[in-house]
Amino acid sequence: MAGKYLGQRLKRNEDPRLLTGQALFVDDVQLPGMLHAAFLRSDYAHAWIKSIDPSAARQHPGVVAVYTAADLGKIWKPGPLNVPPPSGIPGVVFNQRTQVPMAKDKVRHQGEAVAVVIAESRYIAEDAAAEIVVDYEPLEAVIDLEKALGEGSPLLYEDLGTNLASFVHQENGSYAEAAARADLIVKTHIVMERGTAAALENRGYVASWDNKSQSLTMWATTQGPIALRNGLATILGLSEHQIRVIAPFVGGGFGPKILLYQPEEIVVSWASLQLGRPVKWIEDRQENFGDTSQERRQIHEAEMALTRDGKILGVKDVFIHDTGAYNSYALTIPLNTQTHTTGPYKVANYLTEYRVVFTNRILVTPLRGAGRTYGTFVMERLMDKAAKRLGMDRTEIRRMNMIQPDEFPYKTGIVGQDFAKNVLDSGNYPAALDKAKEMIGYEAFLKEEQPRLRAEGKHVGLGISFFTEGSGVGPYEGARITVEASGKVNLSTGVGTQGQGHFTSFAQVAAEQLGVDPKNIFVTTGDTEAFHWGAGTFASRGATVAGSAVNAAALLVRQKILKMASKILEAPEEELELADGMVRVADIPSRCISLAELAVKANPSRGAVEPGTEPGLEATAYFGPPYGATAYGCCAMIVEVDPDTFNARIQRLVMAHDCGTVLNPMILEGQIHGGVGLGLGNSFFEKLEMDDNGQLQNASFMDYLIPRASDLPPIEIAHLHTPSPLNPLGIKGVGEAGAIPIPPAFVQAVEDALPEYNLEISEAPLSPNRLFQIVQAAKQA
Amino acid sequence: MKLEGDYLFNGPREEVWAMVRDPEVLASCLPGTQSLKQISPNEYEGGIYVRIGPVSGSFAGRLTVSNEVPPESCTLTVEGKGAAGFAKGVGNVFLEAQAPDKTLLKYTGEFNIGGKLAAIGQRLIESVGKSMINKGFETLDKTLQARMAGKTPN
Repeated sequence: MAGKYLGQRLKRNEDPRLLTGQALFVDDVQLPGMLHAAFLRSDYAHAWIKSIDPSAARQHPGVVAVYTAADLGKIWKPGPLNVPPPSGIPGVVFNQRTQVPMAKDKVRHQGEAVAVVIAESRYIAEDAAAEIVVDYEPLEAVIDLEKALGEGSPLLYEDLGTNLASFVHQENGSYAEAAARADLIVKTHIVMERGTAAALENRGYVASWDNKSQSLTMWATTQGPIALRNGLATILGLSEHQIRVIAPFVGGGFGPKILLYQPEEIVVSWASLQLGRPVKWIEDRQENFGDTSQERRQIHEAEMALTRDGKILGVKDVFIHDTGAYNSYALTIPLNTQTHTTGPYKVANYLTEYRVVFTNRILVTPLRGAGRTYGTFVMERLMDKAAKRLGMDRTEIRRMNMIQPDEFPYKTGIVGQDFAKNVLDSGNYPAALDKAKEMIGYEAFLKEEQPRLRAEGKHVGLGISFFTEGSGVGPYEGARITVEASGKVNLSTGVGTQGQGHFTSFAQVAAEQLGVDPKNIFVTTGDTEAFHWGAGTFASRGATVAGSAVNAAALLVRQKILKMASKILEAPEEELELADGMVRVADIPSRCISLAELAVKANPSRGAVEPGTEPGLEATAYFGPPYGATAYGCCAMIVEVDPDTFNARIQRLVMAHDCGTVLNPMILEGQIHGGVGLGLGNSFFEKLEMDDNGQLQNASFMDYLIPRASDLPPIEIAHLHTPSPLNPLGIKGVGEAGAIPIPPAFVQAVEDALPEYNLEISEAPLSPNRLFQIVQAAKQA
Repeated sequence: MKLEGDYLFNGPREEVWAMVRDPEVLASCLPGTQSLKQISPNEYEGGIYVRIGPVSGSFAGRLTVSNEVPPESCTLTVEGKGAAGFAKGVGNVFLEAQAPDKTLLKYTGEFNIGGKLAAIGQRLIESVGKSMINKGFETLDKTLQARMAGKTPN
């Protein structure tokens, strides 16, 4: 439903500022008298803290204060849960252990903060931090997920008596019954490993307590400024209205920045209150590897029951999920895994069960893909295996099991991250599969090109994978729109922005209703003083939920405009049109009034108004969907493997994708490109190497490889449009789409490129080295 | 992490043994050693400055000698920590007389590192460690030659 502005490929309003260095990031904030914080972090993954001696650091010239957990007083306590455990699933076990501001008696992961130095400069703070003497009694680290649950394992929490953080079992239908009548059961053991978000901008906070106004201003790289403000008020004992959180431009979120009550947020703001001076802490890259949450370590034992003609009868997936040292974000990730495993397929009998394990690693919270990635990997691997065993074409077995366009809304019966039983709202899955096959030239490649390339000695394979992306979940977001007397339009919403193009896409939504050039719409996001209700930017929900709230507010303002203009222009509302910042009588364009003039009249400075009149051309509206909209797509790629180095290069990548109504195709494509980059990292580059003692072995970009521009293939994208019935604009989310289908498509392509070894790859990420090992093992088998 | 190697000294086994057990000699031979103090017959405390790629800093540590069989073998336990992390290692040293003036020192050991050392220095630590040990042995051999040259006239 492209309109004059909506759906147009407009260049982003924010880019001139971003590209010329005029945008404000947290580290740009410089305040008079500002102090700098440096944290002393544990080198051990698991140890008792026997004593901390900060006396030398306190004597260090330029040091203003040194704090340990003991100095925090009442502030020191495990932080509130970010997300509650799910309601509506019987028998859920959830052992709550949330992050603490600084470790008190025990450190539970390498990089955990044990002390903070506040000094006149960061240099002084770091030098002094090195002078703090901590006496640790090292303990055996809990790293291996299976051993962690075994008898005799060391425990992270002695009082708990187990490393089990959670247990969740859900079943729709009966897998046992399905397996009993199956012609074929395929099984797989899947391991996925941890990576890091590697945002361009690390975390950072500047907290400034002003004694005279009794208020705290906090610049933060958060994805949830309003929730952070509310949480800080409770923790610090202030009123919410004494705190203003500003999330200015943020250099990438990807999930870890939605985690609230992070130790540094609490310590930095509390220190500013204590000292009455601004305090800044900017995370450095090495800290980021040890103190910012990560994702993607699960071990799955999965099986699929089928008839001999390829019809799925049931799926069983039992897995272990690594939550790290804390579970502040509860079960969002493994719930996403449960709802996304069956993806686009009809699975009448589905058993899904998991255990969540505490380990001596930094806590796990959603990272772009957030649980969906593993579920998709497991299911697509099972599909590939079943196709091979049955001698079927891998796309045919997928197609015959897909939910059909006339079967929506489709209920899977499994409770998801929004605690609602998962419903897939709309789509045309076979169309996306066909489109991706057409774009990659599926038949021609397999029948002609691949044999020809193989004859030339090249190892080239095709991978194709389908995925769904549950997105746009509630609870709600809001927006306020004001037409000013200047003729400009002000738009505020509570979500923060980390590069998604909100300043443009939200402006396009409002522009469509108000007939104003999007360039004249001034968008404010992530400032609690501009808008103070909302949840945050996560789960691919900005465009869908906040975008829908913007649309609702714009509609209300439009109604106010029409009502007023109708009186002034003496024409019925339905004969009026809004365009070019004017209201006109459609047939007589000379009878018109500008929005600026209307705004002046709507806010008279003298005289009387009719009782009940609201001033200004302004409206606030909220939007919350009953449940999340599910986007989907199909990704296909051609991969060439070098048989000597086992480097694998993606030569082509196509994505047929449907996220309903498109607000701005260029921004949408940017989202997919970025997601593909992360997906490729999760497939072949990015793995955090951890030794048995919980020591990270590759905490720098020298050793932890992220895909570079030269590693990314050309990406061809096709948009399909099935509007979601869950919001008036028909939008679905897209933020995580690019990342989800890449690992299964990639490993399938690698297998296809090396047919002589009959590989069965059941892990991600690979690396050239790991691929070499897998091939060597296959040669010996 | 495992560490093993050997070094051929140009001197008799007893002389090599005496040097290995002399803290002042050890301190002068290990590159970066800032201090080494004997605190009991088998225990030493000291400081060492280490640079491994982008990671550098001073480490305070303790060296313990055990299972001593003079002049054949002993076990060395090293524990050190500093701002750049920590290291803990256990090594066995064997001295083998190959000729009246040739002694082969063999060592095998295992050590764990943590903190920045592991996180950033990981891929360099084995080669840096080996090179430090070899440099130490070279200096030790030179000292040995000097000692023996001094002794011969007597």
